[in-house]
Amino acid sequence: MATTDTEVNELIKREYEHGFVTDIESDTFEPGLNEDVIARLSGIKKEPEWMLEWRLKAYRRWLEMDEPDWAHVGYPKIDYNSISYYSAPKRKEDMPQSLDEVDPELLRTYEKLGIPLHEREKLAGVAVDAVFDSVSVATTFKEPLAKAGVIFCSISEAVRDYPELVQKYLGTVVPHGDNFFAALNSAVFSDGTFVYVPKGVRCPMELSTYFRINAANTGQFERTLIIADEGSYVSYLEGCTAPMRDENQLHAAVVELVALDDAQIKYSTVQNWYPGDEEGKGGIFNFVTKRGAAIGKNSKISWTQVETGSAITWKYPSCILRGDNSVGEFYSVALTNNYQQADTGTKMIHLGKNTSSTIISKGISAGKSSNAYRGLVKFGPGAEGARNFTQCDSLLIGDRCGAHTFPYIESKNKSAIVEHEATTSKVSDEQMFLCRQRGIDPEQAVSMIVNGFCKEVFRELPMEFAVEAGKLLEVSLEGSVG
Amino acid sequence: MRPAPTLSTAFLHPAGGSLPEPLAALRKQQGSGLVDLPLPTRKTENWKYSSKYLKLTDDMAISLPAEGKSGSSLAVPGYKVVLLNGIMMPEASDYPDLDGITIERFEDLDSDTATWLAGRLDHALDSRSVQISRLNTARFEDGLLIRLKPGAVLDQPLFIVHETQADASGSAYPRIYVDAGANSQITLVEEYISGGSESVMVNTVTELNLGEGANVTSIRLNMEGENVQHIGATGVLQQRSSRFESHCVGFGGLLRRHDLQVRLEGEGAECKLNGVVVTQDKQHYDNHTTIEHVAARCNSEETYRNIAADQSHAIFNGRIHIHQDAQKSNANMNNKNLLLSNGAEIDTKPELEIYADDVKCAHGATIGQLDEISLFYLVSRGIGRREANVLLTMAFINELVEQIPVETVRETTQGRLNQFFEQTFQEA
Repeated sequence: MATTDTEVNELIKREYEHGFVTDIESDTFEPGLNEDVIARLSGIKKEPEWMLEWRLKAYRRWLEMDEPDWAHVGYPKIDYNSISYYSAPKRKEDMPQSLDEVDPELLRTYEKLGIPLHEREKLAGVAVDAVFDSVSVATTFKEPLAKAGVIFCSISEAVRDYPELVQKYLGTVVPHGDNFFAALNSAVFSDGTFVYVPKGVRCPMELSTYFRINAANTGQFERTLIIADEGSYVSYLEGCTAPMRDENQLHAAVVELVALDDAQIKYSTVQNWYPGDEEGKGGIFNFVTKRGAAIGKNSKISWTQVETGSAITWKYPSCILRGDNSVGEFYSVALTNNYQQADTGTKMIHLGKNTSSTIISKGISAGKSSNAYRGLVKFGPGAEGARNFTQCDSLLIGDRCGAHTFPYIESKNKSAIVEHEATTSKVSDEQMFLCRQRGIDPEQAVSMIVNGFCKEVFRELPMEFAVEAGKLLEVSLEGSVG
Repeated sequence: MRPAPTLSTAFLHPAGGSLPEPLAALRKQQGSGLVDLPLPTRKTENWKYSSKYLKLTDDMAISLPAEGKSGSSLAVPGYKVVLLNGIMMPEASDYPDLDGITIERFEDLDSDTATWLAGRLDHALDSRSVQISRLNTARFEDGLLIRLKPGAVLDQPLFIVHETQADASGSAYPRIYVDAGANSQITLVEEYISGGSESVMVNTVTELNLGEGANVTSIRLNMEGENVQHIGATGVLQQRSSRFESHCVGFGGLLRRHDLQVRLEGEGAECKLNGVVVTQDKQHYDNHTTIEHVAARCNSEETYRNIAADQSHAIFNGRIHIHQDAQKSNANMNNKNLLLSNGAEIDTKPELEIYADDVKCAHGATIGQLDEISLFYLVSRGIGRREANVLLTMAFINELVEQIPVETVRETTQGRLNQFFEQTFQEA
C-alpha cells in the first residue's frame, strides 16, 4: 500500500540530502547568536541605526523569554546557538545547472501537480537564467504596480527606501517582544516582503512572493509587512504548492498586516515544506506568528491557508478587529500525514463595535500524525453587537492519528454573539462504498471525499491556487489508504 | 523566570483526627508532597481564569472544628448523612441499616478495609486536579465510605449534606468514596451549604467507582454562602456497561471551582453530565469537566448552561479525550451561555482530544443574550418586561433542571433559580 507514499516522501528526502550541505563560506556567519552577530547582520544589510536598535531591543527581550511549551507538539530542544543567522545567497555555480541534475522523483511530483516547465527549474533550485528572473517577470508586474502607486519590494529595500512607513508600522501588530519566536525573528529577520497600497487603490494584480525576485533566498527568518491604506484592496499569495526545497530546519517568520479605514487585505498561504520522512526524521519546524490589525472602520482581513508541509506547524494567523464594523476571516485546511504535527488555528480579538468574524477550519490527520486546532475568540467590553461563527471539522484517516480541538471563547459583552461547533469523524464506509461501487479506486475515492470536505476553504483561495491545492492534497495523502 | 509560588507552610502542620493507620500513612505521604505543590497562577492552564480568586492565607490553614449546629436546607425525603466541616455527625444523620449497603466513617474502618481504601483513593482523579486532590488527601480528618454490594438497590435517594460552619476563618476537607458493586443502583444527592460569615475554604473530593452494570445518579448542589471558597473535585471510574448520570447545580460565590472527571474504562459504559451555573454580583464559578473514553463503545453526553449577571464571571471547560483503543465512541458536548450584563464575563473552552478514528464526536458552544424577538413576543402579549426576562432566562436552563430525577431537589432548585432571576431583573 504505502509504496507511492514512501516514494513521495523518499523523493523529497533524497532531494534534501542532495547538494544542500553547504561548506561554510566566507559570507556565512559562524553559528551562534549575540549582539555582535545582530550588528554584523544589520551592517551587511546597510540598515539605519533605528533598525539595529529595534533588533537589539527584541534580542534582549528574547533572552528573558522561555520557549513556549503549551502547544500540542513534541520536538527535541532547539539549540539556538548552533544556527547560523546569516548566509549570503548561494552562488550560481553551486546550484544544479539544469533540470537533468535534479532528482527525477521530484520532477515527477512537479508533473503530478501540473507545474509549468520553467517554474520547475526555479523550484528545484536550478540556476535560472537571469533574464527570466529579473526582466521578463519584473516587467510584467512592476509596471502596472508602479502605475497604481503600489510599493512591493523586499523589506530590506523598504527599510532603506521607505523608512517612514516601515518605522510607523513595523512591530505595531506583532511587537518585538510578542512571543518567543516573534522576538527571535525581530532580532534576526533576514528578509521578507513589504507591501504598501495607497489610499483608494485596488491592487491591479494578486501579489505573490513567488514572483518577487530573489524571494527564494529570504531565508528562515522571514518578515512580511503589508499595509493597506484607506479604501484600498490587496490580495497576497504566499508559498506555493510544489514541495519547496530549503536547507534550514527552523523557520520563524512574522507577518504583520495593517488595514486602515475601508481597506481589505486577503492573505493566502499554501505551505508545503519538507515534512520529514515516514519515520518522522528531519522536516521543517515552522513557528510562525501571523497577525492582522483591522484598525480602520469597515476594514477587512481575510486569512486563507492550506498547510500540508513541515514536520511541526505552530501557527495562528490572527485578527485584531479594532475598527468598528471590521471583519476578520480565517479559512484553513491543515493536513498531516506520517509523523507530522500541526498545532494551528486563529485568534479573533473583537474590540470595535459590530465587528464580525468567521472561522472555518478543516483538519485532516492521517498516518501517525497529530493535528490540533487551537483558537481564541474574544469579545472586549466595547465589542457591542459583535458576532463570531466558528466551525472546526476534523477528519481522521487511520487509527493511529490524532485530531484535537482547543477553542477558547471569552466574552465580556452581553450583546456579542458567538457560536462554535466542532465535529470529528472518519471517512465513512458508506461514502467509500458508494465510490468503490462506481469503479473509483480507494485512493481516488479518499482524495475526492477529502476534497469535498475542504471545499468551503478552497473556494476562498484564488482560482489557480485552488486547483493546485486540490492536487496537493491528493499527493500528500497518497498511500494513506488501502 | 520567577519560581512558581508554593503553598504556605501553615498548611503543612499535621492534620488531626484519628484515622486508621493505612489512611493516616497515605495522608502523611501526600502531606509531605504539599511542600512542592505548585500553587495555581494565571499561567496554570487549568486555573487561568480562577487562580486570582484562590486565597490560601495562613488563617485559612486552620481546620474548622466539627462542632456547632447543623441542619439541611432541603426537606429530605430519603436517607441523610450530615457532615459538619467535613466530619460526619451521627446524631444529625438518619439512615437505616440496609442490606447490601454500608455507610462508614473512615475513622471506624477496620484495618483491612482501610488498607483497601488507601490503595484506591485518588485513583479517579488525574494530575489536572492535583491542587484540589492533593490538598484534600493531605488534610482530611475523616471521610465517608459508602459501599454497595453487587445487585444492591437503594430505594430512596441518599442525601449527603456538607455543611460548613464559618464562625472563624479556616478550612474543611470533606472526603467521600463510593464503591458501587456490579449491577447496584444508587441516587446520591450531595448538597453544600454553609453558615457563618467568616472567610473559609472548602476543599472537597468525592470519588465513585462504578462496577459492571452499576447505575449511579449523582446530584450536586452548590449553595454555600458568599464567604466560602469552594474547590472541589469529583472523580468517577466506570466499568463495563455501567451508567453514570450527574446533575450539578451551582450558585456563585467568592470562588467556586468544581472538577468533574469521568473515566469510561469498560466497554459499553455511558455517562451523562448536566450542569447549570448562575452567578451575580462579583461572583465567580469555574467548572472543569473531563471525560476519558478509555474503552471502546462508550457513550458520553454533556450539557452545561451558564448564566452570568452583574459583574460576575462564569467559566466552563469541558474536555473529551478519546483514547487510541476507544473505537466506536460517541461523544457529544454542548455548552450554552447567557450574558445578562456588560460587566459580566463568560469564558468557555470545549476541548476534543481524539486518538481513534472510528468515532463520532461533536461539541458546540454559544455565548449570547436573550433573544429580542422572543422578548418582544411576550411583551406584546401583555407580559411585563421584567417577567418576560425571568421567564425566558428560566426557560434557558429549565430544560436541564427538569431532568433532575429527585422531585424535592428539582423543586428547591427551581425555586432558588426563580428567586435569583427575580432579583437579577429587579431594575429592568
